[in-house]
Amino acid sequence: MIRSLLALSIIALLAAILALAIGSVTISPAELWAVIQGEGSALHRTLLWELRLPRTLAAFATGGLLAVAGALMQVLLRNPLADPYVLGLSGGAAVGALLAMLTGMGALLISGSAFAGAMLAMVLVFGLAHGTGSWTASRLLLTGVVVAAGWGAVITLMLALTPSYKLPGMLYWLMGDVSYARTPWPALLVLALAIAVVMPLARNLNVLARGSMQAAALGVSVRPLEWTIYLLASLLTATAVTTAGSIGFVGLIVPHMLRLVLGNDQRIILPASALAGGTLLVLADTLARTVIAPEQLPVGVITALLGVPTFLYLLHRSR
Amino acid sequence: MRYRWLSLKIALGLLIGPLAHPLMASETQRCAVDDAGQKLCLTAPAQRIATLSPGATELTFAAGAGDKVVAGVNHSDYPPAARKLPLVGNHTRIDLEALLALKPDLVVTWVTGNPPAQMELLQALGLPMFAIEPRSFEAVSSAIERLSVLTGTEPQGFAEAERFRTGIAAISAQYRHAEPVAVFYQVWETPLMTINNQHLIGKVLQLCGGVNVFAEMPRLVPRISPEVVLQADPEVILTGSVEGAIDDQLDHWKSYPKMAAVAKNNLFYIPASPISRPTPRLLEASRDICQKLDIARAR
Repeated sequence: MIRSLLALSIIALLAAILALAIGSVTISPAELWAVIQGEGSALHRTLLWELRLPRTLAAFATGGLLAVAGALMQVLLRNPLADPYVLGLSGGAAVGALLAMLTGMGALLISGSAFAGAMLAMVLVFGLAHGTGSWTASRLLLTGVVVAAGWGAVITLMLALTPSYKLPGMLYWLMGDVSYARTPWPALLVLALAIAVVMPLARNLNVLARGSMQAAALGVSVRPLEWTIYLLASLLTATAVTTAGSIGFVGLIVPHMLRLVLGNDQRIILPASALAGGTLLVLADTLARTVIAPEQLPVGVITALLGVPTFLYLLHRSR
Repeated sequence: MRYRWLSLKIALGLLIGPLAHPLMASETQRCAVDDAGQKLCLTAPAQRIATLSPGATELTFAAGAGDKVVAGVNHSDYPPAARKLPLVGNHTRIDLEALLALKPDLVVTWVTGNPPAQMELLQALGLPMFAIEPRSFEAVSSAIERLSVLTGTEPQGFAEAERFRTGIAAISAQYRHAEPVAVFYQVWETPLMTINNQHLIGKVLQLCGGVNVFAEMPRLVPRISPEVVLQADPEVILTGSVEGAIDDQLDHWKSYPKMAAVAKNNLFYIPASPISRPTPRLLEASRDICQKLDIARAR
C-alpha cells in the first residue's frame, strides 16, 4: 500500500516539475534550479513564482479534490457512474458564478458566489431528498439528477439573456479553467483537511460500500457516516468548482482507474485518488496551455482526451 | 478648446509649465486617464506596447506609435504592418507567459472585451495598463490623443485625432438636412442581431441621416426576430461584408418581397472591419454608409 502511494507521489512531483518547466517560455532545469535558489532572470522569476507555481498547485489541488469527491460519491451512492457533479453542485456553483459575472463583479466575488451557489445546491438536494420517508441512496441520486437538470436550465437561460460580450468569459468558466485560480492555498488546505478527516473513516467506508444494511449489521453507524461523507464530498466539490470552474471527467474516471490497478480498499483509494487526480490535472493543464500556444485550450478537453484512452487501456488490461 | 490649447503648448515647446490636467505631458511625467477611470502616469514614453484587441492595435498605430508595438492578439490585421506582430492569444484569452516574455512597458486593453481575471493578474504584477473603449466619435479622437501622450508621439497623434474630428464634422454638416431614411443594420444573421443608437454603428447611421429602426432598444446588441424587422419595415438593410467570404447574409430577406428594402433592392454590404472597430477608419465607413443611403434616397 505504501509502495503504491509512494510511486504516485513521485509521479506527482515529476509532473509538477514538468509543469513548472514548460510553457510558452521554456525554462531549462538549470534555470529552474537558479530561480529556486533566488537567482535567475526577472522574467523567469515572475513566470515561476507568479504564474506557474500558483497555477500548478491550483491544478493539483483541484484535481485531487475532484478525484476524492468522486471516490466518496461512488461509495455513498453505491453507483459506479457517480461523479462529483451528479447531485447538482456544479450547476449551483455555475449559476452563482454566472450571476456574479452578469452583474459585473470582480474575481473574488465570482468565486464567493460560486461557493455560495454550490452550498445552496447541497442544502437543496439534502432537504428535498430527506422528504418524509427514509433517506436512501437512490432517492438522493434521483433528487440530485433532477435538481442538476434544473440548474442546467437556469444556466441556459442566463446564457441566452446575457449581452454578447460577456459570453466568452462565461463559457470559459463553464468549460473549466485553472488560470482563474489566483491563490491555490484554500484548495490545498481543504484537500489536506479532507484527507485527514476521511482516513480514519476509510475502514467503515469499505464496509458501507457493501450495502447500508450489511454495514448497520456490522456495527457501523450508517446515517451519521453517510451525512459526513455527503457534506465532505460537497465541500470538496464546491472548493474545486470555485477554484477552477467545472472541470469534468476527473472525478468520475480517476477513482475507477485506480480501482482497476490497486483494488477497492478505500484506505488506499482515497489518498491515491488525491495524488492521481492532482497529477492528471497538472499534466492536462500543462498541455492545455502549450499544445497550441499562444491559443489556450480549456483543460476539461484535455482531461477527457488523456483520460479516455488511459481508462480504456486499463479496462482492457484488467480482463 | 483644451485640445487646441495643448497643441499650442507643444508647438511652443516647454516654455509653459505643466498644468493640473488629465492630458499632462511634462519632462517628468506623462499622465492620462483611461476609459475605466484609472489614471496612468509613465515617467518616460512607452517603448514596448502590447495591444490586447484589434481596435487597440489600430488606435495605437493611429497615435503614431506603431513601430513601438511588440505584441498583438488575433485579428490585429490593420494597418498591414500589424499583421507581422507576434500574437499573444485571443482578446478573450491571453497567453500571459508569451505576453510577459515580450516585456511590455504599456498594455493597452479593452474595458469589456478582455477577461477581467487575467487583467487583474497583470495589474497585480505591476504592468502599466491603459483600458480604452470609445463609445462616441469624440471618444475615438480622445483615445488617440491620450495614447499619443503616453507614447510620446503627440504630433502624429493629435494630428490624426484632429483629422478624424474634422472629417466627422464635415460629414455631419453635409448630411444635416438630408432626408431621413429608415435603416436596419444587421450585425449577424443567426441569431439575428442588431445595434441600438448607443453603439458607434448607430451613431454612424445617425450621422448620415439614417434612422435606426432599433435605436431605442434597451440592450446595446439586441437579439431580435425577423418579425419585428418586418413590422418596422426599413427602407434600407445594411450589413458588414467579410473579406474573402461570399456576401449572402442578406439573402434571407429576399423571401419577403413586400418589404420596402427588398422591393427597392436596398440590401447593401459595406466592409465589416472599418465599421466594427472604434478607430479612424470609421470615417471611411461613414462615407460608405452615407453613400449607400444616398443611393437609397435616389430610388
